[in-house]
Amino acid sequence: MPLTIALATAVALAVFVAWPLLASETGAEAFLPVDVTPLADLKRRRMVVYENLQDLEFEYKAGKIASEDYQAMSANYKAEAAGLMSASLEAETASGSDAWIEREVSARRARRKSAPSPEYTCAECGFENPLPVKFCGECGAKLEPGGQKKVTSGK
Amino acid sequence: MNQVGSAGLVAALAFARSAERATLAFFLMITVAVVALETSILSNDFHTAYVAAHSNKDLPVYYKIAVLWAGQEGSLLFWTWLLSIYGGLAVLLNHRKNRQLMPYVVAIILATGVFFTSVTFFVANPFSVLSVERAGGLLPLHPPEGNGLNPSLQYHPMVIHPPMLYLGYVGFVVPYAFAISALITKQLADNWIRVTRRWAMVPWMFLGVGIRWDPVENASLLPWLAATAFLHSVMIQEKRGMLKVWNMVLVMATFFLCIFGTFLTRSGIVSSVHAFAQSNIGIFFAVFLGIIIFFSLTLLFLRLDFLKSENRLDSVVSRESGFLFNNWILLAAVFAVLWGTIFPIISKAVEDKTVTVGPPYYNKTALPIGLLLLFLTGAGPLLAWRKTSFQSLRRNFTLPLAVAVVAGAGLFFAGIRDLYPWMALTLAIFVAACVLQEFYKGARTRQKIVGENFAHALYNLTMRNTRRYGGYVIHLGIVLLFVGFAGLAFKTEAKATMDKGDLLRVKDYVLRCEGISKGETPNYLYERAELSIVKDGRALGTVLPEKRLFKASQESISHVALRPSLAQDLYVVLAGNDEDTGKVLIQVFINPLVAWVWMGGLVVFLGTLLAMVPSRIERELEGLRRPVEEAIEEKHAF
Repeated sequence: MPLTIALATAVALAVFVAWPLLASETGAEAFLPVDVTPLADLKRRRMVVYENLQDLEFEYKAGKIASEDYQAMSANYKAEAAGLMSASLEAETASGSDAWIEREVSARRARRKSAPSPEYTCAECGFENPLPVKFCGECGAKLEPGGQKKVTSGK
Repeated sequence: MNQVGSAGLVAALAFARSAERATLAFFLMITVAVVALETSILSNDFHTAYVAAHSNKDLPVYYKIAVLWAGQEGSLLFWTWLLSIYGGLAVLLNHRKNRQLMPYVVAIILATGVFFTSVTFFVANPFSVLSVERAGGLLPLHPPEGNGLNPSLQYHPMVIHPPMLYLGYVGFVVPYAFAISALITKQLADNWIRVTRRWAMVPWMFLGVGIRWDPVENASLLPWLAATAFLHSVMIQEKRGMLKVWNMVLVMATFFLCIFGTFLTRSGIVSSVHAFAQSNIGIFFAVFLGIIIFFSLTLLFLRLDFLKSENRLDSVVSRESGFLFNNWILLAAVFAVLWGTIFPIISKAVEDKTVTVGPPYYNKTALPIGLLLLFLTGAGPLLAWRKTSFQSLRRNFTLPLAVAVVAGAGLFFAGIRDLYPWMALTLAIFVAACVLQEFYKGARTRQKIVGENFAHALYNLTMRNTRRYGGYVIHLGIVLLFVGFAGLAFKTEAKATMDKGDLLRVKDYVLRCEGISKGETPNYLYERAELSIVKDGRALGTVLPEKRLFKASQESISHVALRPSLAQDLYVVLAGNDEDTGKVLIQVFINPLVAWVWMGGLVVFLGTLLAMVPSRIERELEGLRRPVEEAIEEKHAF
């Protein structure tokens, strides 16, 4: 009897463990999010500096820090925060331009799909015929299958 | 080709999820093994070798439960079980967090699990059964009675003590796993250190509860000291982005020392009251330790470029350098204790005789180190971050120093003139003044700025930065501990052979022997003395010290009678008896300030809980990650 229970438990656990491998919906997690992006990390560092600055102010008000120390360190922290902020901005525009490139690439891809197939481009004059034809609509030259290669080399 | 790649990614994620489920399955199966062993123990199944060796029929039930960790095999299983609990918790609590780290975290935890399970199964199996060789082959053996539990474990505090230590040792596998996975994935920004710190605090607390002074406890002191160093220097990394490599080294060292501690206790390489007998599992641990060192250091070396410091040390007089100094001293303590612990082994190897180092060695090394640390406990928090000028120093140190000078003089005239106890008590007062000043100044400032009343301001001050003020509470607890330790220097001891009606005078106590009796319980025979206590003319009732002879193991032990109070604890021990005259030898110890050790422990515990409450800044930083987590949440459910 105990052996049966043990076996049943083992089988149940094996199914439990193997389930993510068998279940179809796991396909939905086809991405692995980054825990901390570089941009979030810069923001995090800036917040820590702000927190340090707040602490410094509080300790100064509590009379724990001499005023020269306070002024020097406050300026120091502010410079650090400013540096991080400009780094953040830079990273943001960088990632912004990345996004622009992405958009541009996908737009061009889409345009290319609707554009005529290069197979019907004339080898002689380079005219892109909008429909599958045997002779070029512009110069009347005969279109050969694989003419695309000629075009690219000719251009 | 792209489809193949995507399919591979999907499969990899599925495997990662599967591995997390395997961690839960691992926990369930080890639980089954633990329940099975406990069932054998509770049902007196002496056919099982482990039960026969460590239990007996008439053992009270609560001691029977403790049989699980009383011997080599059982305690390894217990270790594995705690590991599986920590692993399961890590999986459940990070179901939607740290997704990039988790596959590696699970891998590290389960690799450790595989090691301990293998050792438990193949080398020290608690389920092996007794049998005898007869003409017809091996026959099962069912002894009617077991050998009984180790007498020194049959004492309430000693039952709790090993699980606490184990909870500490085992728990450090989680911070280690997070550190390693951060190295592997190069996700070394900041996230891992926050996760690791939180996970390190729990075992740190358990380990602190379990520590006492003898070779095996030293083994638990080692990772505790390293972890203390880590919990401090981690703040420099969080606040200033420095010491990244150093923190990695400390996490690795802590985990290494935990396994090393287990190795010392289990292998019988260092003899001690509760180390187990010589056994053959030592070599497996040695190999495992070697793998940990090699793997950790190689990985650290490969990732050095990702651990560059974001800032530099501005000044020698600053909070940062205070923390650094604290780190060095803690490490010095680690080496002092390590040397004392392994010295017997080295001396045996070199001179072929075992030389144990005793209290004198620790008094010479550990005491000064401890006092220096105590000083830093108070002085460190008074240093400002980055740079502290002389003016700032004067503002913060004047009051505590004045208090310390007055207190030191007072103690000296009160008759406390031994160097170490005097220093310890004076420093304790200094530190208490420092910490209380921090709370007072903070709350007063808040009162001024925000306009709250003092109590409210104190509360908000603490909750705004729970880590800092929780840490200060822990420091107060450390002060109480040191006061308690200082009390040990003033213990008084007396002994006398007593018969009914005899008096024994120790300091201001008078003990009178009211009678001597003998008797037995199912588990043991006892001889008991009844002593009434009078202090300063006031009757304090009676105590009943016993000498117990356990039937199963035929070992005897003195059961201490104890009368605690805030000022001093009275221990009464029945050390022996004279068969001819029927008189008993009574030993009395007066240990001043022991209660302070317990109070200190409690305050440290509460401070740790406080420090684990997320404070405002942490919640905000957590918010930076929230969108990612929500995205995952949408994608799937467990």
